[in-house]
Amino acid sequence: MRLLIPLLSLSCAEPPPTTTPPVVRGDAPAVAAPAPTLRRLTSTQLHNSLRDLFGDELALPTSLEPDEESAGLRSVGAAVTSISPRGVEQYEAAAFFVADQVMAEGALRDAWVPCEPVATADDACAGLALSGLGERLWRRPLTESELSVLVSLSSEAASTLGDFYAGLSYGLAAMLQSPYFLYRVELGQEDEDGARRFMGYELASRLSFFLWNTAPDAALLEAAAAGELETEAGRLAQIDRMLADDRARQGVRDLFTEIYHLYELDDLSKDPNIFEHMSAQVGPSAREETLLGVEYLTFEAQADMRDLFTTRRTFLDRTLAAIYGVPAPAREGFAETMLPADGPRRGLLGQVSTLALHAHAVSTSVTRRGLFVREVLLCQEMPQPPADVDTSIPEATEDAPTMRERVERHLTDPACAGCHAMTDPIGLGLEQFDGIGRFRTAENGATIDPSGELDGAAFTDALGLGAALAAHPAATSCLVETVYTYAWGHAPDDAEDPTVDWFLEGFTLTEHRLLALLRDIAASEAFRAAGELQ
Amino acid sequence: MKRALRLSPGARPVWTPSRRLVLRGLLGGLAVSVALPPLLSLSSRRARAADDGFPLRFGLFTWGNGNLPDRWVPEGEGEGDAWSLSDQLRGLAAVKPDVAVITGLSCKVPNVVPHGSGNAGMLSGLPLDQSTGEDTFAGPSIDQIIAAEIGQDTLYQSILTAASNVSGSSYNGPFSRNPPDTDPYTLYERLFGATFREPGEEGLVDPTLGLRRSALDAVMGDIAALNARVGSEDKLRLEQHLDGVRQLETRLARLEEDPPSLESCARPATPALSYPDVDGRPQVSARSRVMADLLAMALACDQTRVFGHTISDPVSDLLFDGASAGHHDLTHNESGDQPEVHNITVQIIDELGALIEALRAVPEGDATLLDHCVVLACSEVSLGRTHSLDDMPIVLAGSCGGALKTDLHLRPTGQESTNRLHLSVMRALGIPAVSFGEDDGYAEDGLSALEV
Repeated sequence: MRLLIPLLSLSCAEPPPTTTPPVVRGDAPAVAAPAPTLRRLTSTQLHNSLRDLFGDELALPTSLEPDEESAGLRSVGAAVTSISPRGVEQYEAAAFFVADQVMAEGALRDAWVPCEPVATADDACAGLALSGLGERLWRRPLTESELSVLVSLSSEAASTLGDFYAGLSYGLAAMLQSPYFLYRVELGQEDEDGARRFMGYELASRLSFFLWNTAPDAALLEAAAAGELETEAGRLAQIDRMLADDRARQGVRDLFTEIYHLYELDDLSKDPNIFEHMSAQVGPSAREETLLGVEYLTFEAQADMRDLFTTRRTFLDRTLAAIYGVPAPAREGFAETMLPADGPRRGLLGQVSTLALHAHAVSTSVTRRGLFVREVLLCQEMPQPPADVDTSIPEATEDAPTMRERVERHLTDPACAGCHAMTDPIGLGLEQFDGIGRFRTAENGATIDPSGELDGAAFTDALGLGAALAAHPAATSCLVETVYTYAWGHAPDDAEDPTVDWFLEGFTLTEHRLLALLRDIAASEAFRAAGELQ
Repeated sequence: MKRALRLSPGARPVWTPSRRLVLRGLLGGLAVSVALPPLLSLSSRRARAADDGFPLRFGLFTWGNGNLPDRWVPEGEGEGDAWSLSDQLRGLAAVKPDVAVITGLSCKVPNVVPHGSGNAGMLSGLPLDQSTGEDTFAGPSIDQIIAAEIGQDTLYQSILTAASNVSGSSYNGPFSRNPPDTDPYTLYERLFGATFREPGEEGLVDPTLGLRRSALDAVMGDIAALNARVGSEDKLRLEQHLDGVRQLETRLARLEEDPPSLESCARPATPALSYPDVDGRPQVSARSRVMADLLAMALACDQTRVFGHTISDPVSDLLFDGASAGHHDLTHNESGDQPEVHNITVQIIDELGALIEALRAVPEGDATLLDHCVVLACSEVSLGRTHSLDDMPIVLAGSCGGALKTDLHLRPTGQESTNRLHLSVMRALGIPAVSFGEDDGYAEDGLSALEV
């Protein structure tokens, strides 16, 4: 919902041009494309698509089939889940909710119905409107028979209801419930050289959802129709156009919302009796801080993405400024802020989005915070705890006042230490931030010791942990792997690893700039290669 | 996809055309008698009706993180005065004559994923499916297994609700989950909104119903065309999607029929528009109670014969009233005999008691709605602290038309499989179940001590 929040600090500076030079490195490894699968539009993609077509005035349907995560991402969940009976019901209601708005008298209708009906049931005019709407909603032109089904439905409805536009809303609603709208149908076809590829409209859709997280615009569909996406120059022209477009910001925001599960901040549960700063605003504000920071690094600064873990620059509103104990912005909304150079807080690990989300409702959680770093930031798979062991953490006592002493058993009992030695020391490094992210130096009257070690790199506090994370080789390879997983809707298997490594090489050569990585992936042969259907 | 349930092949009853098809003359040359009493004509292809003609219904009540077995197991075994409610079950005092507490059963699946294994085992009868690297159910959950058998002839095959914001555990198969309604007002609008007709009123006369079905016809055509082009996994996903479209189309058609004439059916009171958190805590009890009333009326009006109601998901860290930390957190980290965990379990069972009372408050003939129900209440583990799958917490409510005993504490020895309980429940509903589950959990016998 970035449109609701004025980007005061960002709109002033003219961003540098977003084209990035091609990466010079060895040949790409042999393509190992996974089998293509249907991908259901995530609710974000569905909203983005509708808003792009029908504008901000359209009230968006809110009650939709929930997204599910798989491999940590909703994009992957969208490639494996189906649509439940309840979901069908919700999509039907959503379809009419949208169609009725579009076909109500007004500017939207005038824009999408490019003819005057000559009768209540006017097949020609209905066909003109539906083919225009269909091309955008189904992301390809409709076939004659598809169109004729929708036209006769519209005319049947128009005759029954005695109104041309009311009839047309049935054709539009059918289109919005169709699998051709609800799923991304990218199946590939045989190219002239015999290889299976995503071509034309399928490739347009693939590029658009990857870079913008929304359906292709008219220009991209035109390029697809003209066969421009089958040439390297044509593809690059579109990719560069897309990366320079504002919708690329939406794409990057949605990407990181998925990676960091920032949507969970809507349901942030904290006991307000323990955390006096807790309010319904904390979660949404925390999400916006993280996304504005990512946006800044990606677009304004075009910086090394590892800065995400070490930067003092952030974006705060009054809610967050109060939690951080720094001066509040002069105006409502978010303002760019440099955190104090001698302060305890820098980068993603110092943000409320990380600290509050990966904690309990009443306390911190060294394990959850550590798990977030291991699984999400370093892509290290952690085993499930055994089902039949007691994992309890003893209560604080005089002898064990801080979490460090209390989790001692996690780190020494061999039944626990196998995993907890991987997670808890990281979490202990963040213990100077309480369960909502307020800084503190003591717990139960004892000084908190935030020192530790991350895979061989010793740190003395959270700042050092952030620096160790930025320097960790897995942090960069993880981002590349995660972006690949997001783009493909599928976690890479062994055969795809060389391709991921090749993107990593490019990411490193371009000094870890996200735009370069997105461009590199979008322009690659791998991205347009389709596996065999299975 | 696997299925835990095996049905008796010869027991499949002859298909009876629904009243709608008969009335619409859609049966072509088939000679069909329409001289069926109203209730029988509405009754399912397969499900048994109670002796008094009312349909039988199934309800599933679930909560996360288990119980404290030491304070759960009732004293005494047997019926009536032979047993008394335990500390944790005291919320059932008012409905003791109508419940059966079954203890000592084991959920016999490999306990490899804490909470996840028990959840899949308890609800689907099968081990958790980890074949793709992601955890999911291997087959449908018990509510959907039963809905497929007895839910075909009502507006909704099943209605799923939850008193907190959960994902739920109702599955059609792997990666195919049925999300519950978590907002009472949305649920009300869905069940008793503009399309609802009270008994005695006529069916909806609304041309848009037919037009919406025409739109769905177009959608089904698209699904079929797409289905021909995709891989095998996608075909399954599209089949599931298509099944949902068919259900919606059937429902739109049924709205044109006159509503069933059930004496206790009436439009219930409108719930509040929202139930915001109070002091950082969700209003679990208020939400659960208003949903219980809506569910009871949905059954009384025969809008559905199967419901699922969830208080919280497995591993839920819900902040319950009076608790100093989240539920899951407490099950692992509260020391001693865990008074806070106990207090949360008591709150959950209070909600079960309220649901049972809501069903019992609806008269049906000489009996009550509850008498025509069986509600299965369970969790995915027993002792949350250790994720134990032995001595699982199970309560049944309602006699299912007199097929099941109530006012009973049953404690089989020998770690019998929970799947035996599912068999008894399904058979009580008239489903010709031959076996349920696989491997260690495989069961062919129900719990005869439970059956009348």
